[in-house]
Amino acid sequence: MIAKPGGRKGSISTSSDTALVIGGGVAGMQAALDIADQGFKVYLVETTPSIGGKMAMLDKTFPTLDCSACILTPRLSEVSHHPNITILSYSNVEKITGRVGNFRVRVLRRARCVHEERCSGCGNCIDVCPVEVPNEFDQMIGFRKAIYMPFPQATPNVCTVDMGSCIQCDRCIRVCERDAIDLNMKDKILRLSVGVIVVATGYRLFDVSAYPRLGYGKYMNVIHALEYERLINAAGPTQGHLIRLSDAKVPQNIGFIQCVGARDVSKGVPYCSRVCCMYGIKNAVMAKEHNPNTEVTIYYADIRAFGKGYEEFYHMAETRFGVNFVRGRVGRVLENPENCNLIVSVEDIAHHELLEVEHDLVVLSPGLQPPRSLEHIAHQLHFEVDDEGYVEVQNTFLNPVDTTIPGVFVCGCAEGPKDIPDSVSTGSAVAMRAAIALLHGGAK
Amino acid sequence: MSQEEAPRIGVFVCHCGHNIAGVVDVEKVAKLASSLPHVVYTTHEMFMCADAGQQLIRSMVAEHALNRVVIASCSPRMHEPTFRKAVEEAGLNRYLFEQVNLREHVSWCHMREPEAATEKAIDLVRMSVARAAHLESLPIETVKVTPMALVVGAGITGLRAALDIADRGFEVLLVEKSPQLGGHVAKWTHLFPTGESGAELLAPLIRRVKSHTRIQIMRNSEVVEFEGFIGNFKATVQDRKDGVQREFDVGTAIIATGFESFKPFGYYSYGESPDIVTLAELQEMPPRPELLRPSNSQPVNTMAFIGCVGSREPSKKGHEHCSRHCCFATAKAASDLKDGLEEIVMLYKSLRTYGKHHEDIHRLAREKHVIYSRFPADEIPIVEVVDDKIRIEWTDILANKRLIFQPDMLVLASAMVAPSDTETVAKMFGLTRSSDGFFSPEHIKLAPLTTHVAGIMIAGTSQAAKNAVESSIDASGAAAKAAVLMARGEVEIESTLSEVNPELCSLCHTCITSCPYGAIGIDESRDPPVACVTKAKCHGCGTCAAACASGAIIMKHSTDNQIGAMLEAYLCPVQETM
Repeated sequence: MIAKPGGRKGSISTSSDTALVIGGGVAGMQAALDIADQGFKVYLVETTPSIGGKMAMLDKTFPTLDCSACILTPRLSEVSHHPNITILSYSNVEKITGRVGNFRVRVLRRARCVHEERCSGCGNCIDVCPVEVPNEFDQMIGFRKAIYMPFPQATPNVCTVDMGSCIQCDRCIRVCERDAIDLNMKDKILRLSVGVIVVATGYRLFDVSAYPRLGYGKYMNVIHALEYERLINAAGPTQGHLIRLSDAKVPQNIGFIQCVGARDVSKGVPYCSRVCCMYGIKNAVMAKEHNPNTEVTIYYADIRAFGKGYEEFYHMAETRFGVNFVRGRVGRVLENPENCNLIVSVEDIAHHELLEVEHDLVVLSPGLQPPRSLEHIAHQLHFEVDDEGYVEVQNTFLNPVDTTIPGVFVCGCAEGPKDIPDSVSTGSAVAMRAAIALLHGGAK
Repeated sequence: MSQEEAPRIGVFVCHCGHNIAGVVDVEKVAKLASSLPHVVYTTHEMFMCADAGQQLIRSMVAEHALNRVVIASCSPRMHEPTFRKAVEEAGLNRYLFEQVNLREHVSWCHMREPEAATEKAIDLVRMSVARAAHLESLPIETVKVTPMALVVGAGITGLRAALDIADRGFEVLLVEKSPQLGGHVAKWTHLFPTGESGAELLAPLIRRVKSHTRIQIMRNSEVVEFEGFIGNFKATVQDRKDGVQREFDVGTAIIATGFESFKPFGYYSYGESPDIVTLAELQEMPPRPELLRPSNSQPVNTMAFIGCVGSREPSKKGHEHCSRHCCFATAKAASDLKDGLEEIVMLYKSLRTYGKHHEDIHRLAREKHVIYSRFPADEIPIVEVVDDKIRIEWTDILANKRLIFQPDMLVLASAMVAPSDTETVAKMFGLTRSSDGFFSPEHIKLAPLTTHVAGIMIAGTSQAAKNAVESSIDASGAAAKAAVLMARGEVEIESTLSEVNPELCSLCHTCITSCPYGAIGIDESRDPPVACVTKAKCHGCGTCAAACASGAIIMKHSTDNQIGAMLEAYLCPVQETM
């Protein structure tokens, strides 16, 4: 594949009207769109097979309960149809050299074993594939085939072969009418020249098994919030039926445990993850929406409903939906071996009581952490990360999306945990700063 | 496509995951739709908005030679642009597409009555199919964008936005009501997060804004009139001193009018002692080595803060929201001041140090022995001023005890509220407000900086309570939105405007007086004169068409026969296929 950044006549360097955006989540997509809409070219590099990021995995969003897919999919298709944006999915940024106005980037295009330009996303190959493996997109609760699309609206709308689990039976090849599948495809190196770089690498969820006392990984009915999102999602592994993983029963009494891997110095996550309170409340409300008779309790340290409309949503969850809020950090979760219910031990510090509450499903709300790939990018670009691994900005007040390296900008959770609107705002903000840097070669 | 061609309608019913299909029997709706007049293709799909759904529209238009497309899915506010684009890519005029709202209008509001909901869905689809048969192609109109942006308000948000737009190569008119630039931040004598004063912090930004050749600054001025449409607004700016008015043509506008710090009279004896101040007042106190009591200029030894003053009050309009910035600001203030003070007590309802490094500062304050004490939300502290002494009595939740503290000074973390003139600004720019009193964004999740008025952006605390860092991010983001429009140079506008049929007009003036936008004038060039619509001013609201007694006004895309067809389909359903 040949990549030639579109050059404008008369410009000093052809690279100076092209931007690289690393990460195709909601922040990276916004950055790409707002840069591309100003007439510049954008390469959008995403490691997974599809852009969309974590938001694509969510069911509903707070505080309006808009379904995530409904509001995200137009963005996905806007990005994929934009004449100035080239999506490089299933790809990794390997090496970056140079400086503002002329960065040279080496991108590894991993072999997806499907020719993107030929695949129509019809899914015939998926139907005939005999191999089923856990689906990462469904947090390993559901299954996908060895040739797969992570979710129905995947963008680009093409299949990917997971060669690690493919048995090379060639059924997919035989059924593909467009000759799109090539199991011998090799990884490719792509060399790009770009004027500016936007870091939008997002976050990873805190690994909740780091708290053995909360029972995750030990008890089947202790799940984490993203697994819950997939369970309640119509396109998820249960077609949106909220059930227990141990016995497929519909839970009648759910406990949500907040701040798991957030505001905990001992676990290396001293900071607040900023979104868990609200997604926890949203998840609790969704449990009520799925089954109004469900008892729902949230165990929290502080409820941080600080964004626009959030406090009002919190109030509504308590008064209109009847979600119980118990202030206290959960001490431990034990399983009742008879019915696989969970017993939550907690001190209700508002009422000075030690409680032992039985729930038939417990959902842990994990905090956010920087993705492991960010370290590599930071190393390549020589910018600073803070003690927790997030990108440091040049001047918090005046240049809150400029990194310490000219021509390198940061948006979304790469800078620190953020909710969707704040990620979107930073996405637009980097687009502004990046466009100026492209025009002036980083002089301003 | 010629208008005379017989309608060939395709109906696409969307499941929207569970959102619609969980309540409405979409298969039944699709099946019924297939029996309606002119319908030649029907289907029901998981997500019509996804790429696959859009592709399906394109393929089916080609395969079945569809010339009208009806999509039964969500609100047009959600996906009308998506589907219009898909229909255009299929080679049809965007106005030959009709969207039926089965989500907000059906499945969401009739969640517990699936059968009745399905019946309603069928009615709506039948009506829209009937209307679709009467839809007409309309020309796509584009307008030029004047390459100049209006920025209203020169606080940190307005300054940052103005500078970004100017650096991007476009002209900026920066209008500030007060004589100074810098807004609230400039007044902070010590900017808690960095130790600098607000003025010091903003100095480089203000310097660049003032010296920029593309930025025209108007201080002591306000926008008094604003009219027009995207790309072509006319702003009238008035000097507050001499009343002189000037008119400017601008292509886009960023509203950065900020917030007002709530004066909490009626709360915690505010106003009864000079030693009870708001957080903003504390931030603006003259800088000196030690903090002095406003009442007697004696050094302050003990101090208390109370959080959530005028914030987070359910069902109190304009005070229901969290003011977002105060938890961190008070933590930082307490942590800084504690070095010189004996005791600081922080009374709070809940603690929201959510942002980057906020928890570090919160922990630092506690390490310095700032005493954090949580009071119950339904039992707030009692503050009395007796013989010029402040006395606070409250219940500490953790200790479960009534406690008393008599600080030298009390600081109330009062709410960030929308400025008192917000309604005037909202009316002038045609903006809507959320329940918090601030302006509503176009979409709370994915379009936080644009508004429902194309070409007008909101940024910083005009959009919601937030801190200076977040405002600065908004500013660059809103600037990008403005820059996109100006970089493109021209944008498309809606063609759904009204039109006068001169043959029928009797010039009764009813439409002229009923138009809320002053868009209808008199065409004197005709004999006899008739009413005429200025396209650029028409918003397509249809008021004139409804008011016209002669039926002389055609509201395009909502014509009488289109609406009549819908009514007929609802009241006298025809079941047989034509």
